[in-house]
Amino acid sequence: MPATLQPTEVREPDLDERTSEDRPWIVIVWNDPVNLMSYVTFVLQKLFGYSHEKATELMLDVHHKGKAVVANGSREQAEMHVFRLHEHGLWATMEHDGE
Amino acid sequence: MIRFRPPVREVDRDEDGPLFVVDIGDDEVALVRKLVGELRIMLTDDDALDDSDRRVLLVRLFPVVHPDDEELEAEYQRLMREELVASKLAAFDIVEAMLSPKRTEPATEGELVAFMQALNSIRLVLGTMLGVTDDPDADEVTPGLEDSPEYHLYGYLSWLLEWCVRALSGTI
Repeated sequence: MPATLQPTEVREPDLDERTSEDRPWIVIVWNDPVNLMSYVTFVLQKLFGYSHEKATELMLDVHHKGKAVVANGSREQAEMHVFRLHEHGLWATMEHDGE
Repeated sequence: MIRFRPPVREVDRDEDGPLFVVDIGDDEVALVRKLVGELRIMLTDDDALDDSDRRVLLVRLFPVVHPDDEELEAEYQRLMREELVASKLAAFDIVEAMLSPKRTEPATEGELVAFMQALNSIRLVLGTMLGVTDDPDADEVTPGLEDSPEYHLYGYLSWLLEWCVRALSGTI
């Protein structure tokens, strides 16, 4: 007769213990005095489908606050957004959301 | 006085979308082609510049993506840097064909976007050379360069880029 197995406590990971890969990424556009304001607005509309009003709001954040979060998503999605922003000459970086 | 017409404007439309004309003089076309050729050399010819000059001048074309993580940055650049160079060179190819003296057809939207990207790439390098800043407490460019040919060129390309944006904004 098999011995009774002792119950084992299984600890569920807390939400904040998720691996870094699980956390979404954000794409940030930084202010650059060389890029025209109208150009930045146009690129944000073209790449992300933002309305003119939304793209203008983000552009003004970039201009006045120094940066704006323009997109978020998985690492692959963020990398693709950054790549396309760099194709257009915008200064873009990516980081984990909440860093 | 001749009535001013925008140098970049939509002139027609076909089944694939709008068509545009870049209505600038032959000398201006030659200038843009020359600048595109020079930037192509900077991107492709390892002997054109020493490494530190290249890094400084091209910094705005190839920004750091992960400023706080060297490992991720190295991985990103390993995967994407060559692709970004290839993308810029492909845009230059399109611009050179579009501005060819033999070319008679108007430009497609994709061609005008490539033209716009190339103009901005040149501006980013010139802006770096000139030390352009929007710091209200500093001069707009490095003192002594306010009347340089590069600064006038930068202004001209900004003007032309602005007209590209206006023309393309109608496509969104």
